[in-house]
Amino acid sequence: MWQKAWLETRWRFLIGLAVLVMLACGGVFEYPATARLLPAARSMQPDGGLVGRAIRDAIAIQSDYRGFIWWQWVRQNFTQLWSLFAILLGSGGLIGQGASGALFTLSMPVSRTKVIGVRAAVCFAELLILALVPSMLIPVLSPAIGESYPFRAAVVHALCMSVGGACIFSFALLMSTTFTDLWRPALVTCAIVIGLALVETALRQSGPYGLFAVMSGERYFREAAVPWAGLLISFGVAASLLYGAAGNLSQQDF
Amino acid sequence: MTDPLVVHTSELRKAYGAVDALRGLDLAVPAGSIFGFLGRNGAGKTTTLKVLLGMARPTAGQARVFGLDATDARASVTIRQRAAFVTEDKDLIEYMTVDEIVAFTTSFFPHWDRDLEARYRRRFDLRRDQRVRTLSRGARSKLALTLALCRGADLLLLDEPTSGLDPAAADEVLQAIVSHVAARPLTVLFSSHQLGEVDQIADHVAIIDAGRTVISRPLDDLRAGFCRIQIVFDGDAPAATFHAPGVERIRRNGRVLTLLASAGADAVISEARALEPVSIDVLPVTLKEIFLDAVRTED
Repeated sequence: MWQKAWLETRWRFLIGLAVLVMLACGGVFEYPATARLLPAARSMQPDGGLVGRAIRDAIAIQSDYRGFIWWQWVRQNFTQLWSLFAILLGSGGLIGQGASGALFTLSMPVSRTKVIGVRAAVCFAELLILALVPSMLIPVLSPAIGESYPFRAAVVHALCMSVGGACIFSFALLMSTTFTDLWRPALVTCAIVIGLALVETALRQSGPYGLFAVMSGERYFREAAVPWAGLLISFGVAASLLYGAAGNLSQQDF
Repeated sequence: MTDPLVVHTSELRKAYGAVDALRGLDLAVPAGSIFGFLGRNGAGKTTTLKVLLGMARPTAGQARVFGLDATDARASVTIRQRAAFVTEDKDLIEYMTVDEIVAFTTSFFPHWDRDLEARYRRRFDLRRDQRVRTLSRGARSKLALTLALCRGADLLLLDEPTSGLDPAAADEVLQAIVSHVAARPLTVLFSSHQLGEVDQIADHVAIIDAGRTVISRPLDDLRAGFCRIQIVFDGDAPAATFHAPGVERIRRNGRVLTLLASAGADAVISEARALEPVSIDVLPVTLKEIFLDAVRTED
């Protein structure tokens, strides 16, 4: 079952790894050019509205290398693309195979709970690697541009991303036990995630409990405090969604 | 295999929304039998096999395999440990190679017979590195059968095992099943539209129609019990009714009255003599005639 789960998800995982690694490298090597633009950016006087405040906030945060990495890489590219690959890995589970292989798999002496449990475990492992490998490249590559980035921060952000974002994967998995094709679970989950992101952006005061605030480790970046409560809530939600997916699968006729 | 019945269903019902796939199916498959499961398209054969393996949940009734409740999730895993299922479409994992799908299946069955696997690979000419999706229909059937036979199962559930195969490939598959059963204690429950195949290899037969069992008997009893009785009269045949047991159907055509009897001819002949016919002939019937009659009766 483990090998089957790996074979079914490996291309999505490997493509995700390649994309995230390239973007992590790009993020590091982009910094010198951005740093040269910062004095000019600081001289701008944006208005006092929501957009103006956001621009001032972005400029202030990116005034040093660690801030730049968090703002450009962790908060944006990393969070968005990791979420996308979490959705893709969660979509297309057992019944997503349609007529191919589902009955054969179900005719094996294995419970449906184990089938979905193994699939989830393999994907969680892949998502953890998708978070850790690109994150660890940041401190490794930083000396190449004359900067440094703490390994501890890279690890904490990777863990925040994978534990905090586990509920995105679990929701996609739940959807894939509801719809029989690959695309509907992915599209429904994408719509929900985008909706959540918009709500969270509008309510900037969602604090450490907002999904994306937890995933990006905002509290750790600003206050050097791991968002344990947010991580625990995300883990609980992910576990509940996974339980729902297993229950959903066990009730289905094939 | 100590259970006298390997498969036993009672009043089994299954509805998919408003459609009743099974409407009180009773089935008793004795241990060691080759049990032919006949029915028209949509009669409920595949649904029955899926219920037995826990792939579909019945709406009502009982389904037991090896004496275990097939509707219980934990028991269902034990049932699948001792059973093999070949679906009508020969559903396999498309992206795997022959070697990979063999390895995948082997991992579930500690009593996997490597020698038998090697023999079937040679006999069926299955290439190790070929992807399942590139196999011909015949090769798929042979691979599915190899995966079913080598695991040391006590029960084979075969859904239309020869559907879509040319006569040579169908014969090869049937021969493999028969020789496998001859070599070890095994129960085979197979559904088929090919009545000739059922006649050739089955020793028990059940005919189902519209989700209900119409006939279920040992094939020899069926052959011995069923007969066609042709009664010829001088003038037009009378519109007679017969009270003898087992009169399944009466047809009147000019001077000839034709009866299909399922409990032998003696009682019917005695009753027919009172009508003073010119002649009474008892003719054997084929499984096809019995099948057609059984499913027609239920319309």
